[in-house]
Order: sequence, then C-alpha cells, then structure tokens
Amino acid sequence: MSEIVRMVVVLSLIAAICSAVLTFAHQGLGPRIDQQTDLYVRGPALERLFGKPATEVLHNKVVIAVGDQAIPVFFAREGDRVSTIAVEATGKGGFGGDLKLMVGVDLDAGQQTGMEVVSHSETPGLGARIDEISFRRQWQGLPTDTPVALTKDGGKIDAISGATTTSLAAVGGTNEVIRFLRDHKEEIVQAIAKREAGS
Amino acid sequence: MSKGKLGATLTAGLWKRLPPFRLVLGLCPSLAVTTSAENGLGMGIALALVVTMSNGIISALRKLIPAKVRIASYIVIIATLVSIVETLMKAYFFPLSEQLGIYIPLIVVNCIVLGRAEGFAAKNPPLLSMADGLSVGIGYTLSLTLIGSIREILGVGSWFGLPVFGAAFEPLAFLVLAPGAFITIGILLGIQNLFSRWRGEKFVQG
Repeated sequence: MSEIVRMVVVLSLIAAICSAVLTFAHQGLGPRIDQQTDLYVRGPALERLFGKPATEVLHNKVVIAVGDQAIPVFFAREGDRVSTIAVEATGKGGFGGDLKLMVGVDLDAGQQTGMEVVSHSETPGLGARIDEISFRRQWQGLPTDTPVALTKDGGKIDAISGATTTSLAAVGGTNEVIRFLRDHKEEIVQAIAKREAGS
Repeated sequence: MSKGKLGATLTAGLWKRLPPFRLVLGLCPSLAVTTSAENGLGMGIALALVVTMSNGIISALRKLIPAKVRIASYIVIIATLVSIVETLMKAYFFPLSEQLGIYIPLIVVNCIVLGRAEGFAAKNPPLLSMADGLSVGIGYTLSLTLIGSIREILGVGSWFGLPVFGAAFEPLAFLVLAPGAFITIGILLGIQNLFSRWRGEKFVQG
C-alpha cells in the first residue's frame, strides 16, 4: 500500500514541478516568441506590401477590437501622413483550413495595394499557388469601396485553376477587410493618431 | 568516483558509444533533418542539451523514483526539458526551429535520451551521468553535422549555406531527398564498421 502511495506522490510531485517550470518559461519567453513570429511570419508579407524592411514596419502596429475579434493593422508613414495600411484578415474556408491574409490599402487613393498570404496549409501545386505573384498581383489597384469577386461571379480576379475553393477564401478574406474598412476607418485613423502621439 | 572513469565516460560518446552509428539509436531525426549541415548541428545541439540535463536530473532523483513508475517519471522530465529547449529555440533561433519543425518536440521519444536515462543515469551519480549525456550529445552533434555536411556539399553544392563549388558543379539532388539520407548513413556505417574491424576491435553494435 505504502509503495502505491509513494508512486502517486512522487509522480505527482514531478509533474507539478515540471508544469511550474514550463509555465515560468512560457511566461518569460512568450513576448519574445511573439516578436520573432511577427518578424519571420508576417515580416515577408509586410516587406512586400510596404516595400520597406520588416523591422521598420513591425512596431507600427495598432490592434482594433471588433466584437470579440482583435484585428492587427500595420501602417507606414509617407512624410508625416499615414498613407498606407495593411490589415490582417482570415480567409475562411480554404481547402486545408483558414488562410491568414494581409491586405494593403492606400487610404488616399482608396485603392488596394496588394494581397499577401501570411500563412496557409493548402495543397502543394494547387491551392499553395496562392503564393504566386501572378495570382496576388491581381489585387493591385482594386478599389476599396466595392467587394472583390472571382471572374465567374462577375468580378476581376482570375481563380487559380483547380483551386477555386482557395481562391474563394482569399476573396472572402479581402471582402472582410473591405467591410472592416467601411465600418471602422475612423477608428483606425484615431488609433494610429493616438499611437503616434504617445510615441 | 575516480578521475579515470569520468574521462572514460566523457570520451565514450565520441567513439565507443557514438550515436547514431555505434548505438544505432535516434536514426529517425538523423535521417530526416540532416538535409543541411546547419540543420544537423542545430538538432544535435538541441539533443545534447536535453540529454545532458535529463541525465543529470534523473540521476539525482534515481533513489527517489520508485522502480515501477520510473519510465513515466523519465518521460515527464524529458518532455519538460524538450519543451524548454523548443521555447528557447523559437525565441532565439526562429528560422532554425521552423526548419527542424516537429523533430524538436519528437526528441521526447528519441531513443538516445531514454536509453541513456535508463541505461546509465539510473545507475550512476549525477556528475558522471551528465558527463555521459554531454559526451553522447557531442557525438550525436558531430555525427549529424557530418551527415548533413556530406548531403549538403554533394546534394546542393554548399556548406552551411556558403557555396563550395563553382557554378559548373551539377549537384546530386537525390542526396537531399529521403533516399540520400539512407545511402549516406549506410555508407558511413559501413566505413565505420570496416575501420573497427581493421583496428581489431571486438565488434559490438549497440
């Protein structure tokens, strides 16, 4: 009997100490991991959208709360005005799960500057071709006041052949950004102004 | 504990117990991640850290842990150490940790770590066990870097990302694919066996 008790006590103690150590490690290093993830996962997309090194853009970040969602918005300054922003969105219903997108918007011109895929788990050779420039560049210059759509639905975006689901998810994600901009543009501008004044 | 035993333990991992060739344990990551010298080195260092610390901790607790739950206790301790190493890698070597992917968490079930815990740390004092872990870890790091170097130099034509041959070199691309891993490890294992036969060593694998 006492052996059983000893087994339980020792194993529980080991497990408890290990959990405590792990919690400590995660709390200590969590912010740094977030920072690194930003740099290496969002970084390349931001670099292409803004044409600047990611380290310059990454700290220009405001988070807008919409309902229970928090939407990260990155911005870049042209002189002392904020002209271009990049809004992160989720393209729901990709073939291998949701896509994580970043849509660049030129606020002055009311145009999209591009769509970038931050992360996806689509089929290599089919949906994964969403990364290709020939698909992504179709977003450049599209207006921000009308929803985007695939050509088969009367829009301007040519779907990737064999990957309509993925293309639809990208379009859906973009439309989410367009809706978000229409409803929350003032909020974004205020948040950025506040962030600028604070820094 | 005599000085001689510590020295012998420290050098054992470099030849007598050299993983993965002599122990023939931990082959899965050796095959999977050694597409480049950098990956091999990173994986090796991660494993060396885990096996040294786990040997030390398990050896210090060896009289406390009841025999019937020892494997469970070892796994909990090893898993914690692996998680810490993984967190550290994500925080400081993010691109490398992306490259190694699932193979870092899989160190938990790496036979070398559990093998050294059960076969050595459970019977020896902490300092000696840590020496054993360190030497096996260094041996593993050297082996993986060697396998990775061969595959990268011949398969891509570079070493640690730096080009080795001129532009005229046509890389043997199959070496960085899965079959190349088996062939490289097989050839190295063969050479090493021939060498120990030539030295007249008593032939023990594992």
